Amino acid sequence: MTATADPGHGHVDAALVARLAGIVGKRRVLSRDSELVAYGSDGLPSYHARPACAVFPGTRDEAVAVVRALAAAHVPFVPRGAGTGLSGGALADGVVLLGLNRLTRILSMDPENRLAVVEPGVVNVALSRAAKPYGLYYAPDPSSQAACTIGGNVAENAGGPHCLKYGVTTNHVVALTVLLPDGEILPLGRADGEAEGYDLVGAFVGSEGCFGIALDITVRLTPEPQAIRTLLADFTTLDAAARTVSAIVASGIVPAALEMLDAPTIRMVEASIYAAGYPVDAAAVLLIELDGALAGLEQDVAAVDAMCRAEGARAVRVARDEAERARLWQGRKKAFGAMGRLSPHLVVQDAVVPRTKLPQVLSRIQEIAAHWRVTVCNVFHAGDGNVHPNIAYDANDPDATARVHGAMRDIMETCIAAGGTITGEHGVGVDKLPYMDRIFSAQSLRAMCDLRDVFDPERRSNPGKVVPVHSCREWHMAASARRAP
Amino acid sequence: MAHGGFGPPGSVTTTTAEIAERIRDAAAHGTRLRVIGRGHWLAANRPVQADATLPLDGYSGIVDYVPGDFTLTARAGTTLAEIARAARDQGQWLALDPLGSDEGSIGATVATASHGPHATGFGTPRDHLLGLEFVTGAGDVVRGGGRVVKNVAGFDLVRLSTGAWGTLGVITEVTVRLRALPAEQQTLALAVDEDAPILERLTSGLRGLVTAPLACELLSGVLAARIGLPERPVLAVHIGGNAESMRAQRDALAGLEAGAFAPADDALWTRLRAAGAGAAATWRLSYRPSRFAHTWIEGRESIAPFAGAWMHGSPLRGAVRYAVPTDAAEPGSPERLLRALTQPFDGVRIGETLPARAWSVLPSRAMDRLSRGVRTAFDPRGILNPGILGASE
Repeated sequence: MTATADPGHGHVDAALVARLAGIVGKRRVLSRDSELVAYGSDGLPSYHARPACAVFPGTRDEAVAVVRALAAAHVPFVPRGAGTGLSGGALADGVVLLGLNRLTRILSMDPENRLAVVEPGVVNVALSRAAKPYGLYYAPDPSSQAACTIGGNVAENAGGPHCLKYGVTTNHVVALTVLLPDGEILPLGRADGEAEGYDLVGAFVGSEGCFGIALDITVRLTPEPQAIRTLLADFTTLDAAARTVSAIVASGIVPAALEMLDAPTIRMVEASIYAAGYPVDAAAVLLIELDGALAGLEQDVAAVDAMCRAEGARAVRVARDEAERARLWQGRKKAFGAMGRLSPHLVVQDAVVPRTKLPQVLSRIQEIAAHWRVTVCNVFHAGDGNVHPNIAYDANDPDATARVHGAMRDIMETCIAAGGTITGEHGVGVDKLPYMDRIFSAQSLRAMCDLRDVFDPERRSNPGKVVPVHSCREWHMAASARRAP
Repeated sequence: MAHGGFGPPGSVTTTTAEIAERIRDAAAHGTRLRVIGRGHWLAANRPVQADATLPLDGYSGIVDYVPGDFTLTARAGTTLAEIARAARDQGQWLALDPLGSDEGSIGATVATASHGPHATGFGTPRDHLLGLEFVTGAGDVVRGGGRVVKNVAGFDLVRLSTGAWGTLGVITEVTVRLRALPAEQQTLALAVDEDAPILERLTSGLRGLVTAPLACELLSGVLAARIGLPERPVLAVHIGGNAESMRAQRDALAGLEAGAFAPADDALWTRLRAAGAGAAATWRLSYRPSRFAHTWIEGRESIAPFAGAWMHGSPLRGAVRYAVPTDAAEPGSPERLLRALTQPFDGVRIGETLPARAWSVLPSRAMDRLSRGVRTAFDPRGILNPGILGASE
């Protein structure tokens, strides 16, 4: 996966570093070990890679100049937003790390048509904050939204708890200006009307940095709901909670969010500074949010409450005020952080299963955890069937590490066998790469490689990610096609 | 368009492998194919230069439907009617009502990204699709997405193929997300005065509704009469929800102070979708929703020279669609049509059904380098629906 793996790729040498420094300023090019330590991994602590150097353009023009300099030198690069990703996607192994987190301008806001144009480094929650005076917000809300950037969200097609009702990133991006790895700038999509032609915006969103970078992003904003009701339902068995999820989904009521936390997660959260007041003796809780117009909302709340109780909920409580609601959500959104405090290493899965299969999949995950003697914490988007079984462990213990990996493999196989997919919102990166050929045929993977080669024939942008290299046509074939007149 | 090459049109195709075999064979011989679902879109979009047809109507049927998951997988030739029937039995529906009729196929609906009045509430096919299978112009069988409601595994071949008019691959199977039928629903109609300030105020009020309607279309008087309503401009609104929500939505519409909304027949939507059948020309203009009133009134002037021409549009999506019926084809009308199609306009003008020579006056969607590259990557010999995207492909 290093820069030298591909015969056509150039090396990062002192001359290139000097050229980059000439564009962005010396202070914005990091190449010493001590400076690069912070850029050695993303939100997944299990992976580490040392970039050859890290460069941080401060303006759009600088970003363009940097990418063109890299193109001239045929040097690979890895675009990075805030580095909060959970798939090892922003790891740069011996290549240039291109940080876009300084491009933080909100370029325009059109409240009437509910659109905003932002630079890639704008932090997710900052956009919602800027839209708030107009009664609007940016709907996709990854748990890392206080830090993650819209550019990173676009690269990963990020989701979040409220995507159940409002859709993921791709449902909210209408146009992009992209900078291709060869330095060409192209507008994709259309903000002021229907876009004709191939849906290249749809193709670019979720391309995990392999298609180039977005210089600006036009997103749809969503009116803030008139009213919100947040419920906490407390279950004595995991199965009852899972059955409730299936029942709510089948009822046709679409909650804004429908999240599940299991017993180990609840106890971990409650023992942390993010304690949310979850019942520590529960086998699972559901955090259910309903929103929209005030009229008719209470009817849905009553219906959901009744469904929870019918499936055996011990108690259902509705947050009385915004403070209580925020507290209930804090426990959910900071659960990963709470786990991170427990052990130095954390494996995070992101599989999605059909919602009707949740009870059986969760029960199987329990068995797998028992078999491998590991503690699995389930905290996830139950309404989407997007499970996040996580295991905190110490990677310095080879026995524990082997058991964790065994459990993870079995869990993934269970989800695939249930008709699911390997990642719902975190992306493939390097973490899910080994599973790609479990769910896609060789022909499908090759089609993905071919698509990537259209955007980046030299395969320099985020090399080695998403699609296993062995699935692609030989590099020299692509290279010779490139040289053809 | 010549038939032949692969046996009689309408011949039953049973497997994806068989379709792939036909395409590989066509690629080997450079045989250009016109891909046909149920034949309902044949007159649509730019003319195709083909040597043979590849019919998919024989490749139909629901493969998998799990009501509890709201997911349905069907072969490309399955009619929307069949999907609607299966879903309705479970209190569900595919909230996709492309212009035309439910006799069209799901494959063609996805390939053409066709949508209808309910795009206002539910979006276009790209918002309903979870996965698909297609056969590339090289004969490779490719799958994108899956059967779950959230999926970021691999590059998004699903969106790439949606609306590609079959030029990247022949869609053979799709998985869509269904929705629950609303507990209650109602169609309401309001007689509207086409005066600019009045339209402006009405559309701005609609944009401010707390609960967005499922569909909301403004119909010209001529169109209203064609579908059995009194001959005057009318705003048709489809609302849905629980009883309490419905009451509030009706109150909110009344609160627009635009007049009295009267209950209307739900069949209005089916008739509206079918209204364009047989028209000599249909096209649409799409621009910012905030400029809807302006788009409407400018467009009205552009079709004024045609007797019997009509229009409808979505104030919340900003799009207006125009139709010139065949009976308006009188001496001099081709030139007038070209004039109407070339009037300066701020948004985007998209042809649907046009006489062959009219296509040339629409600004050709000059395919950028990426689009050309994508086309070549998926259909290296250019055998799938050649010409359908315009001359510059």
